[in-house]
Amino acid sequence: MASSTLVSGSAEIAMATEFEIDSQTDEMLETSMELRVADVEGLSEKPKTFGQLARERFFGHKLAIVGVIGLILLVALFWLGPMLSEWEFDERNVADRLLGPSSEHWFGTDEIGRDLFVRTARGGLYSMRIGLIAAVVATVTGTAFGAFAGFFGGVWDGIVSNLVNLVLTVPAIIVLSVFANKFGASAVGLALVLAGLLWTRIARVVRGVVLSIKEQEYIMAARAAGASNSRIMFRHLLPNIVGAIAVEVTLLLGTVIVLESTLSFLGLGVKPPNASLGTLVADAKGDIDSDPIRVLTPGIFIILIVLCVNFLGDGLRDALDPRAKGSDSSEAKNAKKAAKKARKQSGKQGPGYIAEARTDRTSIGKI
Amino acid sequence: MSDALLTVDHLNVGFATRAGIVRAATDITFEIHPGEVLAVVGESGSGKSVTALALMRLHPDNAIVTGDVLFEGCDLLNMSDREMRATRGNDIAMIFQDPMTAMNPVFAVGDQIVETIRVHDSSISKQEAWTKSVDLLKLVGVPEPKRRASQYPHEYSGGMRQRAMIAMAIANDPKLLIADEPTTALDVTVQAQVMEVLHEVQAETGSAMMLITHDLGLVAGSADRVQVMYASRLMETGTIDQIFYESQNPYTMALLDSIPDLDGHREQLEPIPGNPPSLLNPPSGCAFRPRCAFAADVCAAEVPPTVVVGDQHESRCVRTRELETLGGEIS
Amino acid sequence: MCVMVCRPSVPVHTTTDRSVATLFAYVTRRVLISVPLLVIAMYLVHVGVSATVDPRSDFYLCLPRCQEGFDSITETYALDTNIFLRPFTYFADLFSGDGLGFSSSVGEPVGEVMRTRGWNTAMVAIPAFLLGAVLSLLLSVYSARRQYSVGDYFFTGLSFIGFAMPSFVLALIIQVIFGVKLEEWFGIKPFNTGRKTGENFWELLRDITLPAVSLAILGIAADSRFGRSSMLETLNQDYIRTARAKGLTERTVVWKHALRNGLIPLVTLWALGFSALLSGSVVTESIFSWPGIGQTFLRALGDSDLDLLMAIVMFTGVLTVIFNLIADVLYGVLDPRIRLG
Repeated sequence: MASSTLVSGSAEIAMATEFEIDSQTDEMLETSMELRVADVEGLSEKPKTFGQLARERFFGHKLAIVGVIGLILLVALFWLGPMLSEWEFDERNVADRLLGPSSEHWFGTDEIGRDLFVRTARGGLYSMRIGLIAAVVATVTGTAFGAFAGFFGGVWDGIVSNLVNLVLTVPAIIVLSVFANKFGASAVGLALVLAGLLWTRIARVVRGVVLSIKEQEYIMAARAAGASNSRIMFRHLLPNIVGAIAVEVTLLLGTVIVLESTLSFLGLGVKPPNASLGTLVADAKGDIDSDPIRVLTPGIFIILIVLCVNFLGDGLRDALDPRAKGSDSSEAKNAKKAAKKARKQSGKQGPGYIAEARTDRTSIGKI
Repeated sequence: MSDALLTVDHLNVGFATRAGIVRAATDITFEIHPGEVLAVVGESGSGKSVTALALMRLHPDNAIVTGDVLFEGCDLLNMSDREMRATRGNDIAMIFQDPMTAMNPVFAVGDQIVETIRVHDSSISKQEAWTKSVDLLKLVGVPEPKRRASQYPHEYSGGMRQRAMIAMAIANDPKLLIADEPTTALDVTVQAQVMEVLHEVQAETGSAMMLITHDLGLVAGSADRVQVMYASRLMETGTIDQIFYESQNPYTMALLDSIPDLDGHREQLEPIPGNPPSLLNPPSGCAFRPRCAFAADVCAAEVPPTVVVGDQHESRCVRTRELETLGGEIS
Repeated sequence: MCVMVCRPSVPVHTTTDRSVATLFAYVTRRVLISVPLLVIAMYLVHVGVSATVDPRSDFYLCLPRCQEGFDSITETYALDTNIFLRPFTYFADLFSGDGLGFSSSVGEPVGEVMRTRGWNTAMVAIPAFLLGAVLSLLLSVYSARRQYSVGDYFFTGLSFIGFAMPSFVLALIIQVIFGVKLEEWFGIKPFNTGRKTGENFWELLRDITLPAVSLAILGIAADSRFGRSSMLETLNQDYIRTARAKGLTERTVVWKHALRNGLIPLVTLWALGFSALLSGSVVTESIFSWPGIGQTFLRALGDSDLDLLMAIVMFTGVLTVIFNLIADVLYGVLDPRIRLG
């Protein structure tokens, strides 16, 4: 819009008398000056697309960058490291047992002489893989249930909400332990058990977002224009909840990795010959008095992975959540309004924010 | 000017932002006399509220405030925090724009008034203060004040809440009442009632009032003097008649042309062209110049000084002397 | 279940009576809703647990030599009945003379085990809860008041790490530092690393300090973040400015006007955190060898002690339901805008 003013302004200049040119250019200078100010304030007249804004915010988020780079480095280390090492993860060499770190065994060896670097790297990858599978399964399940409940409402909403409540009533950790003990031997089995308990939070979030979007005018307009349910769902709703889901899946990933390592530490998750970071800590636990480093190394890798994942999730949330602070765009205001409305609606069944806080609490994975 | 209750001298308020300093109030100089009602009028963002908050030292942390503010001879900007607290809510009280958010939702309305009373005079017992707050609620026209006092803010309607805010503000018989857009957030039908209450209360307590508003209609019926602000500066100051009928400032004139005449004489409303300028980087010279019908080259040269144009009447426009003739030509 | 009512037309003097009655009705209804939900959950859990935990697993190898033992276990747990009917046998036993049954792993009646272990867990959980609540409250107020200060950044960093740290890593680090290294470096051993001696109060204090502290830290990492943002939001509200305009001291503004509002969501978190603590922490208790519910659970799982497992599941489920209810009631009590009804 601003550039068009400039163009038409210059066209007028061509036709204007000399005296008028002065005042015209003066005005032009002023417009351009105001434009610059507007840019500084982020009020530029040409609106940026949501994608552009999100990208800018994400890459402006230092922690998110740290998270991404950290994850890339960790995966590279876990993936490529063992290729450079001459040891296999289950290669025993009893003569070399309980060695300290050296150029040959970078992290030393365990009590039956296996190379700890290779085992840590393999364990790290294994933990990440389980986390990824569980997070994806939980997200798909949760999104399906949440979108279904939010979109169709009524009886369906009641059924899904009660299902969610049922899962939350079940003592998660205990059931998790019982089932992980049985099915934890395979990565997929363990991941499915974890996902079976963690899909509820995503279902809640997606349901809330769908409820709030559904009330917005453009959905009403689409409905008035005769769009079918499935069309509204896939063309209008899904693109809008992708952001919320991306954030949730990242945060979930961190939770899953912590839970998996904890279960494996207790001997309820990953079983030998496989190793995860949790089992490595458990293996070394007996020697904690004499050799605490061997216990803490895998532990520190867990912290690093989860830290990077959480940084990434934080950055994604700031970039994709239009309600996040620091943005005062009209879409943010709309979203705020819609969220308020949704809160009011859910207020009839109980304070929704309590439920949010509740699921936040369980997502810590405190056992 | 020893009879002034409040003297504001060259007050500046700036905000340090990442993009630079935003000047929210520039070179503000005015006085309020005991018992008078001074209206401060301007578009949103013109610096009215910021000025009021700076007087109370309630401005945000990143604000830079310079200048002198004397209240009964005491320097408000330089007094200790303890002295300032003793002044707030006691000598100077404030009524805020949005009554829905200005009261603490978790305390009963009566308790919030009691707190205001007892923080400034702890010799008053809780029972006495409670009785007094019930009386205050009655005074501002809250029905069934005894019962209402123990209710929470969310049980009040918007108009009732603003009445309760007024009751809280006058609890300690302040000498100056600052009302920051007291009716903006209310329904039109309630606005008049609340203004009426405000007036009765002001007449009863004899306190001075600084009424901040963007509603010229509100000003016409209630103020003694009017101050017009634009882009962080005072544009014109005068009595109500001077501003409404003998305005010497192009901005005031444009503002008056943009609202319906009280008598219904004006046939066509004239909106002011353009948008308010950026406070971060205001235009050179007079800030109103880009939108002014009378703008000339001289306006860009420097910020126009305030010119005395009559008794108690001041205007900030370099072309003040020429306006009389120019105005005739343009219209 | 919570409905906002904006205009209760109740005369002042009966407000208290009426709200007590409303509260009672609310609690009753919530309990009535929770009980069937809990029963269904317990039924499903029982089916799930019986399907995965097999108390006879040790006997398969020695059959038929130990047929007698095998049969007695089959009879005890009604393992020959249909898996979907077994919960009914269990619940029927609950209300007959058998009660909670007999714990095969501990060798005592389950009720007795739950009582002693539950008490042990509470001994750690209560101090951990109090410590966590006080510290997370102080940290929330500090970080919100000094947003973007060095201290705020420091605690933000710590809580990020605390968030990413599995409980077993934290417990092991604490054990290494206080249980091993302090003795190695300074020759003192201020705390016991586990095992309940219970000889006298000071011995007990030395026992519970490390597990309680490591449980408290886990809670603080999450709660202080949450509390910080809640306090920040509150401090930016208009009514805080009103409070200042009234001439209140900064202390009253923060600790009365802001805290009373900012605390509301935090209280909910505390209630839920406390219920999690009371159900026993599997990891922390087993690392510090603390004979509480969590450690007992691991043992019961390892020994396929079906009755004890079910008792722990029910205990935890009931606690969760009760504390959820407490959290909601507290919410309604603290925030007058929410009417329970």
